[in-house]
Amino acid sequence: MTTPTVPFRHLATLWIQVTGTWCNLQCAHCINSSGPTDPWLKSLDTRTVKRYIHEAEDLGVKEIYFTGGEPFLHKDILELLAFSLAVAPTTVLTNGTKITEAVADSLADLARKSPYSLEIRVSVDDIDPDRNDRIRGKGALAKAVRAIRLLYARGLLPILTATEILQAEMPEGNGMYDRFRDFLLTQGIAKPRVKIIPVFPIGRMAQEGGGLLTEEMLRGYDFSLLQCTETRVVADGGVYCCPILAGLKEARLQERGLKESLTSCRLYHTACVTCYQTGMTCKNF
Amino acid sequence: MNPERIYRRVAVFGGVYSNYLALEATLEDARQRDVEAIFCLGDMGAFGPHPDRVFPLLREAGVLAIQGNYDDSMAAGKEDCGCGYTDPRDNHFARISYEYTFKNTSAENKAWLGTLPKQRRIRLGKHRVLMCHGSPRTVNEFLWESTTPNGLLARFMRDFHTDAILCTHTGIKWQRILPDGKQVVNVGAIGRPENDGMTNVWYTVLTSGDDLHVEFAPVHYDHETLAREMEMEGLPPEFIETIRTGWWTTCLEILPAKERARGKH
Ligand SMILES: [Fe+2]
Repeated sequence: MTTPTVPFRHLATLWIQVTGTWCNLQCAHCINSSGPTDPWLKSLDTRTVKRYIHEAEDLGVKEIYFTGGEPFLHKDILELLAFSLAVAPTTVLTNGTKITEAVADSLADLARKSPYSLEIRVSVDDIDPDRNDRIRGKGALAKAVRAIRLLYARGLLPILTATEILQAEMPEGNGMYDRFRDFLLTQGIAKPRVKIIPVFPIGRMAQEGGGLLTEEMLRGYDFSLLQCTETRVVADGGVYCCPILAGLKEARLQERGLKESLTSCRLYHTACVTCYQTGMTCKNF
Repeated sequence: MNPERIYRRVAVFGGVYSNYLALEATLEDARQRDVEAIFCLGDMGAFGPHPDRVFPLLREAGVLAIQGNYDDSMAAGKEDCGCGYTDPRDNHFARISYEYTFKNTSAENKAWLGTLPKQRRIRLGKHRVLMCHGSPRTVNEFLWESTTPNGLLARFMRDFHTDAILCTHTGIKWQRILPDGKQVVNVGAIGRPENDGMTNVWYTVLTSGDDLHVEFAPVHYDHETLAREMEMEGLPPEFIETIRTGWWTTCLEILPAKERARGKH
């Protein structure tokens, strides 16, 4: 059986795994097994990130995303966000624990100064502290909610993001999306924004013997639904085809240049099945 | 390839969304501005009442239209509008409006939508102009002011060999002049007010010259009659509130942070 490949269309989104897999939390479902000790993927240095952003601008990138690990552990994160916002709309994915009043002030300032939107996605797993903190660590929900309130008070409109990991524990019909939305409203967030993401069989959720995509399954399939046709990720080691697979050797397309990585890529991982089945995108919208 | 027709002044609008009263008012306004042609960038249906009422108006006025994602879906009998939403709340309202519009549009008008070109090219004096619905590369790509970087626009100009790009699909107008003088204009929509608390809608008048001159023209129409007809048709109260207040109540989740912050909801 041959591994199917997907053609490349255009570079719409650049993902920057700025802190590698370095995170101050150690969530039970983390797609890239991030954590506080011995991250298996290193952070990117500031100069490298700027070079990639510059290259992406020339290639006509539409959006830039910062992820990790936890991006706010990077010593130059605010400088990098400012640099990115001069080029394109920019999103940062965070657990919110490092967003102090001073950081929130700086982010509001960056957002005001850029012609492009700054989006901040704050991750939780449930609005119930016990359930959430069981996945994400003690006090994680309270800190995330505090971050959301600090940002909202400064005119930013954070997007509450969660995986569906705890959905199975909820009674039928009690959808996460509506619960999270209602929760934000009760917190005084009048413009609630919520993004729910499926759980991927990778990282700490990796499963033995999961199914793979076949060429048969992809016959007649609209490839534009797959984000690997328009996304590239820069992380330690080079350029990768997908934010979920970043850092994995089989997903690496290039060691250096972004331009050289705009080629077809292989749908070799069990996580590719999740995208195929759910039509999922890591983008905001 | 046909040589492009050269014009001096044209009117361009997008997103009719079945708002036949705003369409009537727009056509009347354009006639008084000495335009040589009127173009429509697509999405005839959605949102408003009695979708069949816009077609005779478009044809009688000789409007040169292109196909939006909605028109493509209607003509091809697709299951959804192909608007490109990902959020469940946005999709919920999109479904209601698509089902109503699909059911109430005649087979003849659906077939007409199928005959429309995807894009058009004209010249305004010396300026090459490309008209598209979403973006030059994708019919349902959202080009919002705050999420469309100059680098991407410069690339579009190169890849599509043009001096100006006109688009719609988002429902909020904006204009950008690139450092080399090339221009992008999102002409907005005439079917729905643009989330600023005003009930009027907008279209665009472009005039050739050394620089391409762009004027956004406000259109006031009998929105109260439209709202009442939407009520009679049983369309969602959220849609009707938008027509009466000028604030969006649906399709909010697709808005980027800056555009969302400007609205009421
Ligand atoms: Fe559209």
